[in-house]
Amino acid sequence: MRRYDSLIIAAAIVVLGGLLSLVLADYRLRLLNVSVISAIAVIGFNFAFGLAGLISLGHAAFVGLGAYTLAILTTALGWSPWLAIPVAILVTTVFAGMIGYPLLRLRGHYLALATLGLNVSFTIVVTNWITLTGGTNGISGIPELRLGGFAFNDERRFLWLGLVLLALCAAFAITLQRSRHGRAMMAVRDDETAARMTGIDVTRVKITALCLSAAFAALSGTLFAAHVRFVAPEDFNYAHSIIYLAMLIVGGEGAVAGAVIGAALLTFLPEWLRFLGDAYLAFFGLMLLAILVFLPTGLVGLTGRLRRLGWGAKVERTP
Amino acid sequence: MLATDNLVVAYGGSVALHGISMHVGSGETVALIGANGAGKTTLLRGISGLNPIRSGSIRFDGQTLGTLASEKRVRLGIAQAPEGRRIFPGLTVEENLILGTTPWRRWGQSPAKDLERVFDLFPRLKERRTQLGWSLSGGEQQMLAIGRALMARPRLLLLDEPSLGLAPRLAEEVYERIREIAAAGLTILVVEQNTVLALAVADRGYVLENGRVVLEGSAAELKQDARVREAYLGR
Repeated sequence: MRRYDSLIIAAAIVVLGGLLSLVLADYRLRLLNVSVISAIAVIGFNFAFGLAGLISLGHAAFVGLGAYTLAILTTALGWSPWLAIPVAILVTTVFAGMIGYPLLRLRGHYLALATLGLNVSFTIVVTNWITLTGGTNGISGIPELRLGGFAFNDERRFLWLGLVLLALCAAFAITLQRSRHGRAMMAVRDDETAARMTGIDVTRVKITALCLSAAFAALSGTLFAAHVRFVAPEDFNYAHSIIYLAMLIVGGEGAVAGAVIGAALLTFLPEWLRFLGDAYLAFFGLMLLAILVFLPTGLVGLTGRLRRLGWGAKVERTP
Repeated sequence: MLATDNLVVAYGGSVALHGISMHVGSGETVALIGANGAGKTTLLRGISGLNPIRSGSIRFDGQTLGTLASEKRVRLGIAQAPEGRRIFPGLTVEENLILGTTPWRRWGQSPAKDLERVFDLFPRLKERRTQLGWSLSGGEQQMLAIGRALMARPRLLLLDEPSLGLAPRLAEEVYERIREIAAAGLTILVVEQNTVLALAVADRGYVLENGRVVLEGSAAELKQDARVREAYLGR
């Protein structure tokens, strides 16, 4: 069973998302697209936070760097988005590697503050580098993605593309997590000294985790740009980094399925609870608190608990 | 194989090791004995590269280790089962062991043979292979720590207090395994407060007091030494 988890999760994403794409109306489809795009970013965040234990509060900056790179390459230089996507991922990954070397000397709170600073700096730079980024006006006119004569220009079509990419990302992430490279990240998270004594190059593992998280973030950012076809600084400010963190905690840190569930839930929840008005934020805070206290392993941790209560024989770790 | 020369290690202002000179020959089992705070663990951590040394040198196979990073020392062949075991709690027994292969694993190389050897040595670990690290008993964790160090294919095995916190029978069982590992030809440096157990497996020993070597000799000599008998063997 565990061997095929990556395929099961990928199939579940495509089938479930595909069915929803047929029954939901346009506005809900838009939210579903936002969920899918966020889920890719949160799966990436899981490498840094869930596996390697890096408390990063700058994930939205990587998403933004990916989005802006695509926006600039396609509008100012007229590149095809299909070419701009891999280049944006590459640029963001290299950037993450470069800032990773100085940043990852920091631990815990210090790393959290430094990454938060990175995110704030990113917002300031894109707001003020007007010739390149358009400042607060953002960049509009990003071309739609198309495959031959088929344009991903409505919510349903875009969702199909997003679901396939999300399924691929999830399967890749689960496979990597189960490999010795994923285990090495968890070892670094659990006990850095013991990891070093075991022969693990701790710095390299941390940089790899940060680069992977940035690569996924960049893919998410390029999809965001191609979906909305407009980017502006406030889409990538530090509040979004905290939302990614909340999505992972609600879903279940360390678990790919948790990342997807958390991303979908926190995208739809504000809509379902719209009647609460401004009180939503209070509800959100209390919900997060309750999950941290009663469900530290997130929603995916629930399945393990139910099994332990006798809903199945063996307690397995969630993917 | 391993030699330290006038090694000095200090934590801030307080000096923990005042010039330790000792050596471990190829194929030997050497015990470092001494009371709590004598500097035994500090010495092992220095050899593993976890404590910076202030002066003196550590040589392994003729190569000066200097400031070489810990993980590179493991690659050279110095693996340690650390004090307090330091098992990865969120990983299974098998995953803990397989992480130990990091220094030599490349694409396509299988850890199966090494795993089998460790399971032969510690059958209990095989029974528990899918259990998470935190759920093991103290004795099992110690076996796992030793097994994980062996997975690195070391030429020198460092053991830090393998009997610590174990019931007497379990401690003896762990030492029985250490004897088997030594009999297979591996060079071992073991730090131990339980002098009886350590001298039973060792060829030679060093007695540390307040960061200095106060006595050295063959295990048989140390067992007969009046000071050792009084201070550490309790007879």
